[in-house]
Amino acid sequence: MSNEPVLNDSQRALLPALLDTIVPASAEREMPSAAEVDFDAYLATQGQGAVPMLQAVLESLGPGFADLSADERHARLSELQSQQIALFSSLLACVYDCYYQDPSVRVKIGMVRGPVFPQGNEVAQGDLSLLDPVIENADAHRYRAPR
Amino acid sequence: MSDDVADVLIIGAGASGAAVAWSLAETRMRIVCLEQGDWVNPSAYPTNSANWETQAFGPWNIDPNVRGLETDYPINNDDSECAVVNFNGVGGSTVLYGAHFPRLHPSDFKVKSLDGVADDWPIDYATLEPYFAENDRMMGVSGIAGDPMYPPKDPPLPPIAMGLVGETLARGYNKLGWHWWPSDSAIISEPYEDRDRCLYLGPCMSGCSQGGKSSTDITYWPKAVQRGVELRTRCRVREVTLDERGLADGVVYYDENGNECRQRAEIVIMACNGVGTPRILLNSKSSRFPDGLANRSGLVGKNLMFHVFGYVQGVFAERLDSHKGPVACCILSKQFYETDAARGFVRGYNMQIVRGSGPLGTAMAGFASGAVPWGKGHHEAFAKQFDHTAAIGIVGEDLPEEHNTVTLDPELVDSDGIPAPKITYKYSENSLKLMQHGLERGEEVMRAAGAADVMSAGPVRPSGWHLMGTARMGDDPATSVVNRWGRSHDVKNLFVVDGSIFVTSGGVNCASTIQACALYIADSIKKNLTNLFD
Repeated sequence: MSNEPVLNDSQRALLPALLDTIVPASAEREMPSAAEVDFDAYLATQGQGAVPMLQAVLESLGPGFADLSADERHARLSELQSQQIALFSSLLACVYDCYYQDPSVRVKIGMVRGPVFPQGNEVAQGDLSLLDPVIENADAHRYRAPR
Repeated sequence: MSDDVADVLIIGAGASGAAVAWSLAETRMRIVCLEQGDWVNPSAYPTNSANWETQAFGPWNIDPNVRGLETDYPINNDDSECAVVNFNGVGGSTVLYGAHFPRLHPSDFKVKSLDGVADDWPIDYATLEPYFAENDRMMGVSGIAGDPMYPPKDPPLPPIAMGLVGETLARGYNKLGWHWWPSDSAIISEPYEDRDRCLYLGPCMSGCSQGGKSSTDITYWPKAVQRGVELRTRCRVREVTLDERGLADGVVYYDENGNECRQRAEIVIMACNGVGTPRILLNSKSSRFPDGLANRSGLVGKNLMFHVFGYVQGVFAERLDSHKGPVACCILSKQFYETDAARGFVRGYNMQIVRGSGPLGTAMAGFASGAVPWGKGHHEAFAKQFDHTAAIGIVGEDLPEEHNTVTLDPELVDSDGIPAPKITYKYSENSLKLMQHGLERGEEVMRAAGAADVMSAGPVRPSGWHLMGTARMGDDPATSVVNRWGRSHDVKNLFVVDGSIFVTSGGVNCASTIQACALYIADSIKKNLTNLFD
C-alpha cells in the first residue's frame, strides 16, 4: 500500500470543474478543456508531487464549487489568485503542464505529438541573400583593429 | 597516503579542462582529471520526455541552488545582483549552455589602449587565432565566413538554419541599415565526425538528447580518454597542497562516498570556472599562502565579471515557428559592439537573437505578464503568443572592478563540508547605461521587424553563465594572478585555464575564448616542458 497522498472522493468530484475553469474548451479553436485530458494519469505519474497543493486548493474552494456557474467559478478562482498567489501559480503550472503535454493538444498548437526527441523539427534555412546589404556595406561594419 | 603521482592533474572536466586534457595528451604524460560531477547519460535529458519544460524548471534547472544535485555545490548569491548558473559534471556548463559561440573581438584584448579603461590582456586576438580555429574544428562549429566584424575566419560547418525568426529579425536589421550575421554555433548543422546533425529540438539549454550540441563530454573527452587521459568522476577537490619547496604537489579530494583522498601530481591545472577556481585556491591556505594559494597579489577571487544581460521580446502577427530550432543560436548583431563616446558609456554589446519558448513557458510567462489569462480567453491569447515571439538577448561587456568578488562563505558548506562560494557583485553605472541603450535599440529592431507588441527587461538576475576575471592574467605579479601563459606567478607548477584568467570580459559569450585560451596554455606548457618551472 503506497503512502503517497491521493485525492479523496469529494476532492476528486470537484476536479473537473476546477480544470474546466482554468482551461475551458474552445469550439472555435477546436481545443479541449483541461477536464478532457487525462489528468488522472498525470497525477499518478509526473504530478504526484502536486497532490498536496491540489488538496489545499480544492479544500479552500469548498464542495459547492462544482455547482457554481462558469462565471461564478471564475470569480471564486480569481479570489484565490488574489489571496494566495504562490498557491495559485503552482496550480496553474500543474494544470498547464498536464494540458500542454496532451498529444492532441500538442498537435493542435503545431508541436510534435510526444517528446520532441527523436522526431525533431523542420526549420527552414532562411534567405541568406538577406545578408547582401550587410556585405555591401561591410566597410561601415568593419571590426575595430587595435593600434 | 597514495604514492600515485600524475604528471598532470586537471581539476574540472568542463569547457577548459576538456580542451587542455586533450591537447596535453599527445605528450604521453600521465594525465588525471578529477571531476566532482558524473557523466550525463543523453537518454536522461528532458527532451526524451513530453514534460521537458517542467524538468528544465526543476531537476535540470540552470541554477545549482534550485537543481540541488548531490554533485552540485551551493552558491550564496544574496549579496549579488546577478545569480550564478552552471552545471557540474563531465562537460561542465557546456552540458546546459545555449552553444552561441562567438569569439572575443580583437579590440576586447586592448581596452586600456583603445578606451582608457581596465587593462589590456598580455596576449591578443592574433595569438589566439590558431587556437580559436582548432577549437572550432574540435567542437564542431557551424557558421558562415565573411562577417566583417571579425578578422577572416571559416567555421567548419554551414550555419544553423535561421528559420522564420532569423529572417524576420534580419529584415528589421536591414531596414535600419545595421549589422547582423548568422551566429557561430557550437551545434553541428551536418553530420560531423561520429556525430549526427542537430534535429532542431529547441531546448538546448536542458541538454541535447541528439548530441548535435557540442558539449565537451561528446567532443573533447572521448578523444582525450582515447589518448590515455584518466577522467575520474565524483571527486570533489577541497584544496591544492604544497611541498616544502613551495610547489604544488597534488590535491586533497573527497570521493563519491565522502572518503578523503589524496592525488599527487607534478603539475596542477585549475579548470573549475571563474567561481570554482578561486573557491579552491582561497580554501588552499598554508603558512606560505595564508590568504589562499597563489594569492600574493590579493587578487584571487577579485574582479569577478559576468556579462550584463537583458532581453527584448517582440510578438508578431505572423507565425514564426519560434519553439523550433536551437533557442540561443540564430543570428546576432554587432552594430553596437565597439565604443562610441557619444553613447555615454564605453565598450558595447552583442545582440543575440533568441527563439521562443515551449507551451508551458509561454502560458506561465503570459500569466505573469498578463498577456495570457487563464479561463475564458486563454486559447485566443495563447495562440497570439505561442510560436509568434522572437527575442533579442543583450549581452554587454562587464568591466573588472575589485569590489566584485568570490569569497568563501563563513557558514554555508557543500555536502563534503567545503566552504561554499559567496558572491558579492554590483553592476557598474557603465553596465547599466550600456544595458539601457541595448534595450532601447532592441526595441527599435523589433518595431522595424514588424512586432505588434514589444517589451524589454534587464539586467536579468539569473544570468550568471559567464564567470570571469577572478585569477586574472598579466605580466606584473602585483596586479595579476597568472602570467601570459596561465602559470601562477607564485607557484610555478600551478596553472589556471578557465575564465578566471580573463582580464576583461568582452561583450560576447565566453566559451569559445575560454577554450582557445586553454589550448593556447596547453601549447605553451608543451613548448616549455624543459624549462617549465624556471
